[in-house]
Amino acid sequence: MLWRLIAKHRRAVILGATLIASFLLMTLQVRHDPAVVAFTRQAVLMAVSPVIKVTAVALGSVGQVWQDYIDLRTVRKENLQLRREAAIRERRVSQLEEQALETQRLQGLLAIRDASRADFLAARVVGRDTSNWFKTILIDRGSSAGIRRNLPVIAPDGLVGRVFEVTPTLSKVQLLTDPVSAAGGLVQRTRVAGIVFGNLEAGLVVRYLPQLADVAVGDEMITSGLGGVFPKGIPVGRVVAVERRSGALFQEATLQPKVDLSRLEEVLILLQPDAPAGVEAGGLRQK
Amino acid sequence: MKWAFPLTLLACVAVQTVLLDFVSVAGVRPDCFLLLVLFWAPHARPETATLQGFVAGLTQDALSGGPLGLKAFILSLLGFLTARLSRRLATEKPLPQFWLLLAAAGGAGLLSVGLLSFFLGPPPLLATLRVVVPEILYTALLGFLVLRVPPVQPKRTRPA
Repeated sequence: MLWRLIAKHRRAVILGATLIASFLLMTLQVRHDPAVVAFTRQAVLMAVSPVIKVTAVALGSVGQVWQDYIDLRTVRKENLQLRREAAIRERRVSQLEEQALETQRLQGLLAIRDASRADFLAARVVGRDTSNWFKTILIDRGSSAGIRRNLPVIAPDGLVGRVFEVTPTLSKVQLLTDPVSAAGGLVQRTRVAGIVFGNLEAGLVVRYLPQLADVAVGDEMITSGLGGVFPKGIPVGRVVAVERRSGALFQEATLQPKVDLSRLEEVLILLQPDAPAGVEAGGLRQK
Repeated sequence: MKWAFPLTLLACVAVQTVLLDFVSVAGVRPDCFLLLVLFWAPHARPETATLQGFVAGLTQDALSGGPLGLKAFILSLLGFLTARLSRRLATEKPLPQFWLLLAAAGGAGLLSVGLLSFFLGPPPLLATLRVVVPEILYTALLGFLVLRVPPVQPKRTRPA
């Protein structure tokens, strides 16, 4: 009887079931972040991670082939011998330039590594967030390389974000600019503490700065180390605007991130032990 | 044909996460998952289109930093409505096609804002508009361009 009724109204039943399931997932995640949500996320990530990795590698190869093609087109006007030599030179120069840039970036990463006692792991950026609402990246290292949730992620210029989801071969990193990201910050010059939030627009906002605190345009912001997720002293950004409202308890500052998060290619993950989950870094679970 | 939707979904994952980064305008990218559901739904029964929307949305959610279920909710509803209304709204004329795509992307965008406001609190209006409006326009434009690409027809050979 019930089965017949369901079969008769299957369209409405399926629509209702999917909508309720979606709503339930959102509610559960925002309220408790249960295992079922984490499991679903990880299962989907694991299922699609080979596709993302293969695409990233293929894209690199296609880019190289395309670059070679462009190079060849420019030298085709010259005679055969010169064209061959020019193509080889062009390709070598291109490769060397790319190597030099990569070496420069990696030297920057190594400099940080040498200056710190913590262990680091380098990773390549292989993908970006599928929506325009949130700011996350996918990196080609996962739990099999020792990555865990909430590990800090940095670049040569400063803080990038924190590890948000981990699968054996791929991890998702929540960028500082993500609207639900938060990190403890400190004005380097005056040691005033605040909380650095991401927002939908490019840039960062520092809230909870005392109204009378000395904060000025051009000040450098570093991580405060409070909360235990991000170590103290990592550059976060530079103050580009300060807003003081009369009668308000706090003032707000707008930061320009130190790292150009839209052009990340390689990052370092700080493999520091015992980072407490969800204390300093923002996230849906804090809501 | 059975594997066509899963395969295009995987292709969509690759395009959205890796390739679209190169064609983003001011950091905004079109929503390929929405277009995937819009293009498959008219060829499926409403219940199938609903499930396709749910799977596509859940995949998109898993690859995003947003709450799991957000896009699954929107794309399930979109798949269902598209499958139900496709016969009535089917048109070959370019302008109505563009308006329909714009309406679908706009509806999805507004529903996103509504759900995010409900679960995470209201986002700042100006910043929201800066994300929503370009995304809607870009998605509708890309969908329109994809519709204008003529399908590849197999060559017919004359019988001897």
